[in-house]
Amino acid sequence: MASTSDWAQALLSPSPLGLVIAILLAISIPLFLHSVVFRASGLTTLPSILLIGPSDSGKTSLLTLFERGTNASTHTSQAPISVECSLPVSNTAGSDKYRSAHDPTNQAHKKFLLIDTPGHGKLRHHALDNLTNPQNLKGLIFIVDAATLSAGDEGLRQTADYLHDTLLILQKRMAGNKALKALKDLPVLIAANKMDLFTALPAALVKSTLESEITKVRVSRSKGLLDSGIGMDEGADDEKDDWLGEVGSQDFKFYQMEEFDVTVEVIGGNVTGGEGPTVEKWWSWISERL
Amino acid sequence: MLDSFEILTTSGVVLWSKSYTSISPSIVNSLITNVFIEERTLPGAGIADDISAANNPPYKHDLHTLKWTTVKELGLIFVAVYRSLLHLSWIDKLVDNIRTIFVDLYGDQLKKPHTTLVECHFDEYFDQQIRELEKTSLNQDPRSTESAAPDEVAPPLTPKVFADEPPPLPGLLSRGQSNNNYRDSASNGSTPVGTPDASRPTTPAGHLLTGKAKPGGSRRSRKAANTPTVYASSGDESSSKKRPMKNEPKKGRKWTAEGMADEDDDTVLDYSLPANGATSGEDEAKDRLGAAEIDQATWGSKTGKGQFVLKDLDDQVNSILTSADAKKVDSAATSTGLFGSGMSAIGGLFRNVVGGKTLTKEDLDKAMKGMEDHLLKKNVAREAAIRLCEGVERELIGVKTGNFESVQAKIQVAMESSLRKILTPTSSLDLLREIDAISSPSPLSLQKKRPYVISIVGVNGVGKSTNLSKIGFFLLQNKYKVLVVACDTFRSGAVEQLAVHVRNLKELTAREGGQVELYQKGYGKDAANVAKDAVTFAAQEEFDVVLIDTAGRRHNDQRLMSSLEKFAKFAQPDKILMVGEALVGTDSVAQARNFNTAFGTDRSLDGFIISKCDTVGDMVGTLVSMVHATNVPVLFVGVGQHYSDLRNLSVKWAVEKLLSSN
Ligand SMILES: Nc1nc2c(ncn2[C@@H]2O[C@H](COP(=O)(O)OP(=O)(O)OP(=O)(O)O)[C@@H](O)[C@H]2O)c(=O)[nH]1
Ligand SMILES: [Mg+2]
Repeated sequence: MASTSDWAQALLSPSPLGLVIAILLAISIPLFLHSVVFRASGLTTLPSILLIGPSDSGKTSLLTLFERGTNASTHTSQAPISVECSLPVSNTAGSDKYRSAHDPTNQAHKKFLLIDTPGHGKLRHHALDNLTNPQNLKGLIFIVDAATLSAGDEGLRQTADYLHDTLLILQKRMAGNKALKALKDLPVLIAANKMDLFTALPAALVKSTLESEITKVRVSRSKGLLDSGIGMDEGADDEKDDWLGEVGSQDFKFYQMEEFDVTVEVIGGNVTGGEGPTVEKWWSWISERL
Repeated sequence: MLDSFEILTTSGVVLWSKSYTSISPSIVNSLITNVFIEERTLPGAGIADDISAANNPPYKHDLHTLKWTTVKELGLIFVAVYRSLLHLSWIDKLVDNIRTIFVDLYGDQLKKPHTTLVECHFDEYFDQQIRELEKTSLNQDPRSTESAAPDEVAPPLTPKVFADEPPPLPGLLSRGQSNNNYRDSASNGSTPVGTPDASRPTTPAGHLLTGKAKPGGSRRSRKAANTPTVYASSGDESSSKKRPMKNEPKKGRKWTAEGMADEDDDTVLDYSLPANGATSGEDEAKDRLGAAEIDQATWGSKTGKGQFVLKDLDDQVNSILTSADAKKVDSAATSTGLFGSGMSAIGGLFRNVVGGKTLTKEDLDKAMKGMEDHLLKKNVAREAAIRLCEGVERELIGVKTGNFESVQAKIQVAMESSLRKILTPTSSLDLLREIDAISSPSPLSLQKKRPYVISIVGVNGVGKSTNLSKIGFFLLQNKYKVLVVACDTFRSGAVEQLAVHVRNLKELTAREGGQVELYQKGYGKDAANVAKDAVTFAAQEEFDVVLIDTAGRRHNDQRLMSSLEKFAKFAQPDKILMVGEALVGTDSVAQARNFNTAFGTDRSLDGFIISKCDTVGDMVGTLVSMVHATNVPVLFVGVGQHYSDLRNLSVKWAVEKLLSSN
């Protein structure tokens, strides 16, 4: 009995211990809440480059090559991954162009995030989500397998489809959300990979083949059936601007994208191969965007 | 033997691999696309936190069999590849043990963000497991057990003991028992024939048999307390004749003063070094360790002289495996404690609101039931609904909820992405471009021009002819020359009905220059022959597209279904589309499945047309049921009575309808 009343007394009396605990609680709860709420929105300010492209084109291979400097074996990806890479010493980032060579900030390698996405048809939303909700996105590398782009090839149709959809999202970004609008101009590199294979088309031919195939895609898209969503719910977003590139143009050309502040370049190279990788031009493309 | 073993991440990077023969990467790729992405061979696995490889159905591809297991939270996949001809009894065990060991050793590294690099020196551990498991599997072979049986035990008894017991794997038995048992079995069998390390002077068995006392620091006390000399000698005697060669070279090996200078440690070193690495001493051992730089305390300890001694690899592996086992038992035990469960229930309630809760099967069960009912209400077939929910549950167990995220919200999100994944086609479904590629191929591609053949199948009365006409209308609007073929030579009136459709189409599109003809041979003819003739005719007359209407048939009508195979062979359609009614419920799964398999082994459906979608409102579950049963995409949905009421499927639209709650 005595102990119970002791306890009660101890609980109710203004003890210094109780005071300390109360103060601690009062201070720590807001801190705790803050950390919980704001943890997710950490500062991720590293510039990022997005890798996108159909399956088996060599995205993950390129990612590992850029990260490690050596080739690693890869398999079909199921999930996106972002990796911190640094420019090789020979390349200076575009933003550092006017710095003196002895500027200490130049010594430190410029770092950036490289984001790999799965290319499988069912998993492309990962890549497209990254596009519609970009975090400090500096450029887009669309990797194609130059060895599967010969006329009439299934690979060509798949690649052109994906490229068409990607460019269309970029074209429509003005109508989209704020984050996407903030991307004033977005450079796109079409990296024609696997140049080491003798069936691979040279970069110039990759460009023209893709252009003519995209011409077909946009024509057939414009003639295709409506989506089931349209007309069934009122919130159907604008269906007018689904024509990629210049309206009324006969053929699609990549330069037509410049009207929408999207510059497209096609550069060849290879990630693996007998004589080692050939990726210097891709590196310098990246370094100019940082 | 194994062909290769790979440890890779879901992002596609191979972390560690070992191949015994070179195999094409496409084998593992096909496992990933078919099992993980497209879920073609559905994992009939139980819903467990970490599924043992034994529960995952083996995947067969191109003469190879693949055994696999995953670690969800780390995004790891473990795959063993071997020739299908072989029967490797220990393969499941290997995959499971490797998973446990790998996660234990490198789990921390795997959690690092923004990198794909994992420093791993896993070869030794892997080889150790291979050796161990091959040995136990040899032990189980009755002949070898008999010959090596200790004299004290009556020979007929021994095989039975071994047959009754699970393979005496050290790591998986409880501690006290395991050491005895292990020693026993290790000393019994262990003819190293056919093991990859047969040439090595020492085998783990040999090492154990020597039974020398280790310096206290390098071994755990439990080992010391359990010196195995007794067992070892009894086994040794009985089988020593069989392997006199084995122990001798081992005994002969000595380290120079430069090296360890500690005889007892020779075996220890031997494990850390590759088979041919017995040339140097301490320095090399140190180097290898330095490279690994993994918490040295777990690897070994300093001897009195300050020399670094590698802890026995076997010991380390065993302790990893046993502690993983113990953890499993532990977690099972604690959850039954009354007080513990009470506290965790309160904590669980709290976290359910605030988030940050690690989901368990119990948390999910009730909510999943709700989701299942919801799907059933949307007219998803029970089978599909159950499997969808199972998939989501499997995905969510062990996952932490986000801040202020309830379990229900989490399930909703997971189900949405799961539905989206199912309904999204693997490749784009641009019918017009496919037709172009066939009917007017690019001059560069050396392909001959021919008509594109589409045939429509389905059960009676679902609207085959109507939907065929809708497709015809769509094609005519795009200026294709279309031949409609009446292959329903069975039901009276079918040809006439089609003739009416064709006449309508002609009228509707004549002004825009549409060209459409009907090809018919009346009733009673064999449909396959009619179709074949029609295609030949279309090629002569330079039609772009041939649309073939077939007789409706019950999917469980054996006779009629079997004629479809011949039909597919004769007509060689580029696309076989099945029309399914949005109204049909549970039957949809069986319908889709039977039609999908009716065309023989090398042909299947190419797409569905789901008709009458306008009549069901939100209950578009049939879409999911059919796709889920067959992995065939939905090409079109019919949304009305007019020729123009045909739509592409919008996945977003379908998912929204399926998850909307009213
Ligand atoms: N010959 C040759 N092969 C290459 C080259 N680059 C990549 N490959 C091979 O292409 C295959 C696919 O590469 P991945 O990087 O896994 O493909 P991915 O683009 O990531 O594919 P998904 O993850 O499925 O989207 C691998 O087997 C590579 O070895 C190259 O330059 N030349
Ligand atoms: Mg990849």
